[in-house]
Amino acid sequence: MNAPTGLDFASVPERIQSEVQRAIQRSIKGVEYFSTSGPTLGSTPKDVLHSRGTMSLYHYRPMSDEIYRVPVLIVMATTNRGYILDLVPGQSFIEFLLKRGYDVYMLDWSAPRPEEKSLRMEDYVLDFIPDCVRRVQQDSGEQDVSVIGYCFGGVLSLLYGSIFPDGPMKNLICFTTPIDFREMKLFSNFSDRRYFDVDRLVDSVGNVPPEMILSSFEMLRPASRTVSQIQLWENIWNDEFVKSYRMFDRWATDTLPLAGEYFRTITKDLMWDNKLFNDTMSVGGRAAKLENIKVPFLHAVAEHDHIVPYDAAKHLIAKIGSEDKQEVMLKGGHVSLVAGANAVKRLWPKLDSWLGKRST
Amino acid sequence: MTDKITDPVALWQKMIGEMEKGFNSFATKAMETPEFSQAVNRAGGVAAGAQKQFSDLMEKYLLSLNLPSREQMTGIAERLQAIEGQIGEIKSMLRQMSATPGEKQIGAALRPPRTRRPPSEGGEQK
Repeated sequence: MNAPTGLDFASVPERIQSEVQRAIQRSIKGVEYFSTSGPTLGSTPKDVLHSRGTMSLYHYRPMSDEIYRVPVLIVMATTNRGYILDLVPGQSFIEFLLKRGYDVYMLDWSAPRPEEKSLRMEDYVLDFIPDCVRRVQQDSGEQDVSVIGYCFGGVLSLLYGSIFPDGPMKNLICFTTPIDFREMKLFSNFSDRRYFDVDRLVDSVGNVPPEMILSSFEMLRPASRTVSQIQLWENIWNDEFVKSYRMFDRWATDTLPLAGEYFRTITKDLMWDNKLFNDTMSVGGRAAKLENIKVPFLHAVAEHDHIVPYDAAKHLIAKIGSEDKQEVMLKGGHVSLVAGANAVKRLWPKLDSWLGKRST
Repeated sequence: MTDKITDPVALWQKMIGEMEKGFNSFATKAMETPEFSQAVNRAGGVAAGAQKQFSDLMEKYLLSLNLPSREQMTGIAERLQAIEGQIGEIKSMLRQMSATPGEKQIGAALRPPRTRRPPSEGGEQK
């Protein structure tokens, strides 16, 4: 490597002093890091409206004097916990929605129990989501409900919307939602039907363990975990960096197991046969064609999404049957699109301006 | 103030960033091959089978010692969580029931009015 030209020798003592101070801070903060727990996540006040096995329905307490007529139901991805959307005050998507006057509900998941290994796609799409929508209607007293689905929660919402096109869904918003599973190249290769015996896996383990889900996510960027730990050590003197690191690291490693039968369907119907993209998907014998969805639709995708690459998500907007539909591509990755400092400036205001006028 | 070209710390950070990108890109290419899929699935299949057998064996061992397994403990914890959820549900219902009688919608009794309008039609951010 060539030595950088124009090295400013006068600044070297100052730089050394700064680095020594940081090294001292690293030692102090390093001890603090291991002796304290991270920030409390998911603390926006809420009530549990309903809980059944792996499924929980929350209602968040309004934070505005006046709310929009149409309540919002967020459908979380089945692989991860919903608190990514409710990190800490000031960085909570839920809190943002509440302060902007939305009445917010969330369908969140906990680890399926061993006896829930037999949960099928039908249970999620034809039972859990409709049940939560009914409860939201009952609780809010409104017939219309807007649905927001994140990642695979978006896939479930699309399946629900295409099977129940006559309502009561009023608006549908998907965040980083894949439909062309061939384009999820690495996942597609990991589950190559020539080598991946999904039946054997599900029959032997029941629910797919969270370690397997986590390692498949981490394999998408194998060096990133090590590098993020180096970055943590470099920045451990910086309280804001550490807080953010702890929030995202805790969430990313808090992966959920997947119900065995549900995983089997995802592998066979979506990863292998790409049925959602090919318009051949059905759930419980009911056809799920994306063209059936006619409600106002917004799809937010991230420019640097390594989990759901744009190629896997880009055809969704064309396939949706709605006349009022829009795709927005924003800077960020799969998670930073929806949570953290960038989301506060980019996605959240965009969503508010789109949804507000469709929620009266 | 040092600029980024002459700052050794910035150079180090840049180098780490480049190494990360390079390694991720290299690994991604390797993982896209069918050989990788075959190898990882063979290893994964064996590991999953072994893990299941070990777990079954361990459960029998703990049973013989009259101790609960981790799975059973997790099951109890989750049931407690479900009970907490149901208590939350009951609390929520009680709160609604104790609200002003005669309200048309029970669920809406404690809620702000649903009369909000968007701030302005022209205010959408690009």
